[in-house]
Amino acid sequence: MDQRGSIYVRNIKPSYFLRRILAALLTLWIALTINFFLPRMMGGDPADFIASRTALGSPEYADLLREQFGLDKGLFEQYIAYFAQLLQGNMGISYSVFQVPVSQIIAQALPWTLLIVLTSTLISFAIAWVLGMLAALKKGGVFDTLVVGGSFYVQSMPYFFVAMLLLIWFGFELKWFPMSHALPSGLGDDVPWYTMVGYIAQHAFLPVLSLVVVGLAGRMVMMRSNILQIFSEDYITLAQAKGLRRRTILRRYALRNAMLPSFTGLMLSLGTAVGGAITTEMIYSYPGIGLTIMNAVLSQDYPLIMGCFSIIAVSIVAANFLADLIYPFIDPRVSLA
Amino acid sequence: MQKRTGQMPEWFLVLRKYILRNPRALIGIFIIVVFAAVAVFADSLSSIDPNNIAFFPWETPSPEHPLGTNSYGQDIFSQVVHGSRITLLVGILAGLLTSLIGTAVGLVAGYKGGAVSEVLMRIVDVFLTIPSLAFTIVISSMLPQMTVTSTILVIGALNWMWMARSVRSQTLSESRRDYVDAARALGMSDAEIMFKEILPNIIPVITANMVMVITSAMLTEASLSFLGIGDPTSISWGKMLSTAFDNGAIIYEAWNWILPPGLCIATLGYSFMLIGNSFLDIYANDRGGAVKL
Repeated sequence: MDQRGSIYVRNIKPSYFLRRILAALLTLWIALTINFFLPRMMGGDPADFIASRTALGSPEYADLLREQFGLDKGLFEQYIAYFAQLLQGNMGISYSVFQVPVSQIIAQALPWTLLIVLTSTLISFAIAWVLGMLAALKKGGVFDTLVVGGSFYVQSMPYFFVAMLLLIWFGFELKWFPMSHALPSGLGDDVPWYTMVGYIAQHAFLPVLSLVVVGLAGRMVMMRSNILQIFSEDYITLAQAKGLRRRTILRRYALRNAMLPSFTGLMLSLGTAVGGAITTEMIYSYPGIGLTIMNAVLSQDYPLIMGCFSIIAVSIVAANFLADLIYPFIDPRVSLA
Repeated sequence: MQKRTGQMPEWFLVLRKYILRNPRALIGIFIIVVFAAVAVFADSLSSIDPNNIAFFPWETPSPEHPLGTNSYGQDIFSQVVHGSRITLLVGILAGLLTSLIGTAVGLVAGYKGGAVSEVLMRIVDVFLTIPSLAFTIVISSMLPQMTVTSTILVIGALNWMWMARSVRSQTLSESRRDYVDAARALGMSDAEIMFKEILPNIIPVITANMVMVITSAMLTEASLSFLGIGDPTSISWGKMLSTAFDNGAIIYEAWNWILPPGLCIATLGYSFMLIGNSFLDIYANDRGGAVKL
């Protein structure tokens, strides 16, 4: 492509950063705006809903709640307040877990989701890389056919089905791993840190395994086609013509370049995976963002739903932005226009 | 061979290349036809009403109940057979809706370029930012009532973005070809060029996308039903898994309740993906390179 690519990378123009930042901010703003309007357009009055669930279910009590949450103010006023509060990291107070700030609920849930999502993404990425490479090297062979066919089949399975199968087998039948939650119940304060780490790993194992299994399939197929694509490039033909050994060609040319597109894929999947682990968290009662969203939806807890959405939107935009920024450094052919 | 091809109509050549001489697509179509037949003749295949609770609960497979009964004493085989209807219906209709929107947006953005393309793709980017399953869950839970129709509309309206991207990038590379210049020189309008010239040439990509979208629509329907946000009155495979999970099929180790619906979803989705991938491979071979989805 651009012959001067490598020179460009060393002087990335400030305008490149500026444009990326503006694009990210614009996307974020639109996503947060949709986030604000959606729950309000869908009807259903949370104040009535909460009031009806308590013994005090009177219209007066509903009015009181409405005033407390600012639902009686104009939509535009609420919109301004929403952004002003969001900038200060204040996402309001949960309707359902009353008097607990949304940010606090999210701060408790997010680390668990990040733990299983990050771990499973990295593990499945590493395995996918090896399997995809082996399959591509012997394209059309028995291993290739089996692995690719198997991947498509697993990709067509619902996340929660895989999670249920693993739960029955490893959790219930073999009793190797706990069946739910992120920690044993009734833990005291005096648990030493290494025991704690052990508990966490033990509880996270099955959720991570099921996310690895479903994530592996798609990544492997992608890695395989990346490598096959690169085998057809001119510089590989050139390297062969120069008489380089097969191993050298693979190591120095093909595998390195096959990493590049999958790197973007990795960053993007980190963002979407935060929201994608919902059903898995349900199966294992794992106290992450997914379970929090489900509970919030079931109890019409608008501030909590919106808070979870903001977090997911922010993480996806951030992952996109990072991928855009890092990519030119690892692939000099990308022009920074 | 070479001589005879000249006499055959073009549509037959395309059909032969993509389907008749394509074992993967043939296998996929065969599986889909079998499932479709099951859906159509569900009532004759299993005379037991899937909602009938007249039997003993937790029965293991027997001649009378080929897959046993569930915790309510309902016949599981009958539920699997009848569940194929909703899953196929939602998958195919939502997939078609998605394809319609995705193709239209992709064609216009790819052919027109400039500001139109920029605006459309910016909208696509924003929609991609919102996690589609979470978004679907929130919208579904806020609708007054979830029916099969609203499930189709919600899934169809929220999943067209990847398809729009793929169609746009194919349209971009097609519009640089000579036949588009020729059409323009003949004085064809933009709409004519897009729909009469470019569209037929990217049909394989659209079809490939469409069958994959159908798979993902079926998976989304399953997830929604599993989370209890689908149509509460109908039986789908996702709903069956949801009931199984809620009623302790795990601790009863009721494999006969969990495996059939899950494997049915996977097998049906697999057959759609088989068709889509083989189409893409053939199309990419013709164009001398890989096609990115």
